[in-house]
Amino acid sequence: MSCGISAKRSLPSNPGALIFLAFLLIALLSPYLAPHDPWKRYEPYLGPSRDHPLGTNDMGNDILSELMFGSRVSLGVGLGAAIIATLMGTIIGASAGYFRGWMDEVLMGITDIFLMIPQIPLVIVVAAFLKPSAIMITLIMGLLWWTSLARIVRSRVLQVREMAFVEAAKVIGFPDRHIILTDVLPNTIHVIMPKFMLTVASAMIAEASLSFLGLGDPNAKSWGMMINFAFSRGGFLNGCWWWYMPPGICITLSVLSLVSMSMLLEESREDEHVAS
Amino acid sequence: MYLRAQNVSKVYQEGLLFRRRRCVLRDVTVEIEEGHTLGLFGPSGSGKTTLARILAGLDHPSSGAVIFNGIDLREMRGHVFTEFRRSVQMVFQDPESSLNPIKTIGRSLREVLDLLRIPGDEQAGIIKEALEVVGLSEEVLCRFPRQLSGGQNQRIALARALLLNPRILILDEPTASLDVSVQAQILNLLKEIQRRRGIGYLYISHHPAVMRFVSNSVCELHNGMVTFRGPVEKWETGAEAGARSTST
Repeated sequence: MSCGISAKRSLPSNPGALIFLAFLLIALLSPYLAPHDPWKRYEPYLGPSRDHPLGTNDMGNDILSELMFGSRVSLGVGLGAAIIATLMGTIIGASAGYFRGWMDEVLMGITDIFLMIPQIPLVIVVAAFLKPSAIMITLIMGLLWWTSLARIVRSRVLQVREMAFVEAAKVIGFPDRHIILTDVLPNTIHVIMPKFMLTVASAMIAEASLSFLGLGDPNAKSWGMMINFAFSRGGFLNGCWWWYMPPGICITLSVLSLVSMSMLLEESREDEHVAS
Repeated sequence: MYLRAQNVSKVYQEGLLFRRRRCVLRDVTVEIEEGHTLGLFGPSGSGKTTLARILAGLDHPSSGAVIFNGIDLREMRGHVFTEFRRSVQMVFQDPESSLNPIKTIGRSLREVLDLLRIPGDEQAGIIKEALEVVGLSEEVLCRFPRQLSGGQNQRIALARALLLNPRILILDEPTASLDVSVQAQILNLLKEIQRRRGIGYLYISHHPAVMRFVSNSVCELHNGMVTFRGPVEKWETGAEAGARSTST
């Protein structure tokens, strides 16, 4: 049984997948689900109540509404950075592994150079110098985090290119583009997807860290920015747990759900190896 | 049409600091002609598959040349190379792994016709005909390679190669992973296809009985060197040939 099929069968029953799906739905439907406008001011420092289930912050903004709208920024940055990194890593890794020769040397040389760059400090420096925005952070992380995936994809493509069905496709005369897109990459997807999940999780944590350090977009209320505001505006000192705990729990849950899905995909691949 | 490996040698270099040269083929010359079967015989590691890969254009020789219809493979460009690709096909040893596991049989066959730019409405008829040639029904089209037996997969691999109407077919131990009854069916099928279409075969095997059944002439390899080349009637058994090779 192929990895893809077994993963598809087990993903819907995976709690991690259900949690992540719930977060995605909340992010997409936040304008309809949020009880209040996250920028509207009510009485500040209100504890959880019927009107404000997670209370309000120092500015009187409803925390639950902030949390729902914040999922858009956090998941958006995570998914955006992971998509850019995965596309770059897959294209570079697949080209290096399939064509070998000088292209492999050049692309892996570039990958090694990028691997040597201390990524988080660079993101902090760039975010500090440029105007902080969610798009900028997404781009910087996406353009830096493709390296390990490129290495992984290259190693898998080196295996797949030697398989008989790829050689058979070459003998028949299919162009390289056709072989890469229909023979090589579909048989590499099971190493790409778990890494993609982990990249989303890493990017979300990085975005939260940057926002906590005050290097995030102050106009975009992400979960990390909510914790930053709670920390810098007395939420921790005044014991307003409803202010800083929910975004912290959301970050933890979403990262755990992504790691759980990644592990599930890895396990289904191992099951397939054992079965074959 | 003919396909010839002329004075072909293949050397692999091993080791990072101290490079060791391992010669897999030494000065091998073989020729495959339309309508005839050249059997390539030899023990494991004698260079049979390397020679087949070089002849199919999947690997390059370290020295010597592969010549197709008088043109050196290295000089082929554009439509001449496309002509070579279509005319010389290869069937691999392991039938299941020679088909993409995530494509249905129907898709694997249709994409060959797409490559040949055959319109979609004509494809069903051509595929049906190709399946009839190899003795399969259209029922296999919606299945994946893992859902078929080894013999069925090998027939599909053969049908896929035949869609290109090749003139030379390189068969790299196509029955090695099949049981005896299926082996016989495939061998008879290959003979029947050759009789009808006049295709030239390079049949690789290390079974003397199979060699005698399918071949018109035999080329025997030992340690990358040709130890016998001639009509199958004059060929000694593999064991005797091996002994002769060792003594020389």
